[in-house]
Amino acid sequence: MSRYLQVVQKNPSTVEQPYILDVEHVQKKFGNGDIGEKLVLADIGFSARRGELICILGRSGCGKTTLLNLLAGFIAPDQGTIRLHDQPVSKPGPDRCVVFQDDALFPWLTVRENIAFGLKGQRISSAQKEEEIDRFLKLVGLSEFAAYLPSEISGGMKQRVALARVLILKPQVLLMDEPFAALDAQTREEMQNLVLELWQQLAHTILFVTHDVTEAVLLADRILLFDKDPGRIKEDIRLELSRPREKEDQNFLSLCRVIRAQI
Amino acid sequence: MPVRSPFSEGQILLPWLLPAGFLLAWLFISFIGVIPAYLLPSPGEVLKAATSYIFGEPGSAPYAGRFYADFCASGLRVLSGFSLAVLIGLPLGMLSGRVPFLQRMLGTSINGLRAVPGICWLPLALVWFGIGLKTTVFLVALAAFFPIYLNTEAGARQVSPLLLQAGAMMGVRRLRGTFAVLLPAAMPHIMTGLRLGLGISWAYLVLGELTGVPNGLGAVIMDARMLGRIDIIVVGIILIALIGRLSDTGLHWLLRTCFRSARRSA
Ligand SMILES: Nc1ncnc2c1ncn2[C@@H]1O[C@H](COP(=O)(O)OP(=O)(O)OP(=O)(O)O)[C@@H](O)[C@H]1O
Ligand SMILES: [Mg+2]
Repeated sequence: MSRYLQVVQKNPSTVEQPYILDVEHVQKKFGNGDIGEKLVLADIGFSARRGELICILGRSGCGKTTLLNLLAGFIAPDQGTIRLHDQPVSKPGPDRCVVFQDDALFPWLTVRENIAFGLKGQRISSAQKEEEIDRFLKLVGLSEFAAYLPSEISGGMKQRVALARVLILKPQVLLMDEPFAALDAQTREEMQNLVLELWQQLAHTILFVTHDVTEAVLLADRILLFDKDPGRIKEDIRLELSRPREKEDQNFLSLCRVIRAQI
Repeated sequence: MPVRSPFSEGQILLPWLLPAGFLLAWLFISFIGVIPAYLLPSPGEVLKAATSYIFGEPGSAPYAGRFYADFCASGLRVLSGFSLAVLIGLPLGMLSGRVPFLQRMLGTSINGLRAVPGICWLPLALVWFGIGLKTTVFLVALAAFFPIYLNTEAGARQVSPLLLQAGAMMGVRRLRGTFAVLLPAAMPHIMTGLRLGLGISWAYLVLGELTGVPNGLGAVIMDARMLGRIDIIVVGIILIALIGRLSDTGLHWLLRTCFRSARRSA
């Protein structure tokens, strides 16, 4: 299918980078009582380079969240291995942070305290912590709202906080689970631009789950196209569209069309 | 234009509307004299009895100036019983809310015990602990335990797994996670449990003190009944209601001062 992809400009920054995340033959079943076992993920395998922005694209229920839960270490695979820097992933940790599909901020903490949460255990001086918190508040544009509670800010702002509280921990891999699905179109666009901006500044490896083709084509270096029942990688697509990308651009649109036809 | 409730100006007065009406009715009834004074004394008499009970020179009249000693005795009993209930109920509730095995093991027994009316424990407590502090503390602790345990358990069980995952991914382990995520997330339920527990503590205090202890607010009520001092009985009831209400406010204030999760939940 690569003949459909217009090579405008190679993105040299990520292609040369080493692989840091390896997923091999991962399988996950869920036993749900009377119906018996359901194979949710079958033989998932891929590797991610450092600094790569990979979108996981698939229909609802194809196991995207399950895959992120496996990568985050919240659940264990039935078969296969997940390795980060050649270390097997066994439990959750700040090297693999998640921005959840739903709001998962701590409602009893202010914006600032939420962002500071993960720094508590770390051995850095409190002056340095405050400085970091200020920096990340500014990065996500929430300096003015530091003292607000999550219940007092909008959905888009909540996801900014969710982003800041994990970015501050300098994760090796950032896992984002349809973080903007619940936002209105304009806010979503703002947030997509913010992600791209932060990604270019901080050069994280990002796995971004979405079911929105346009979003995937806008963000991704690479798209893993998921099949449903059982969930598996149907297509591994490398996007070589130059950045910044324009949604009205002919190449962009035709690429979206091609991918939409595949789903 | 927002629609305004006719009471919105008097929001502070609203809770006092019913007691005020009640007082008026009481004044009216004793004024026309349909109920004889030996069954229901007039507000004036009760006020006089209360003044003597609280501020009077000890020994100048029966019950004069006894309030302070009674209040301290009862307060100590409630505080000890309630603290005991918190000490046992809170950790146990947290544990069985998070460990399904414990919940299954404890749930049925505790719900069974809860169905036993508190007064059924009285004879047993008297045999075990005799008359006085220990029996009362036992009864108070037992009664306060159930709302504390059950609400804490529900609170801990209902904590969103998402919050626990978020905590784990940001690197909090078991013990710190309990205090940094679990406890604050369950705080609204815990607060309800503690307040219910403290409220019921006062009820069971009176039950424990009815058995013939020499001092305490419940003891005064029982004593006054035998001496036919119905004005003192009414004074005792009103004082317990007031102190119960104040202790609830105090507990609420204390929780909100100590825990930001309590402060920031509605
Ligand atoms: N804990 C679980 N127990 C049983 N079945 C589960 C569990 N978690 C997920 N599943 C099943 O696995 C399948 C995939 O779920 P998953 O949440 O990973 O999908 P998804 O791709 O994230 O969907 P969406 O786009 O709607 O978020 C679903 O059919 C779901 O019913
Ligand atoms: Mg999902």
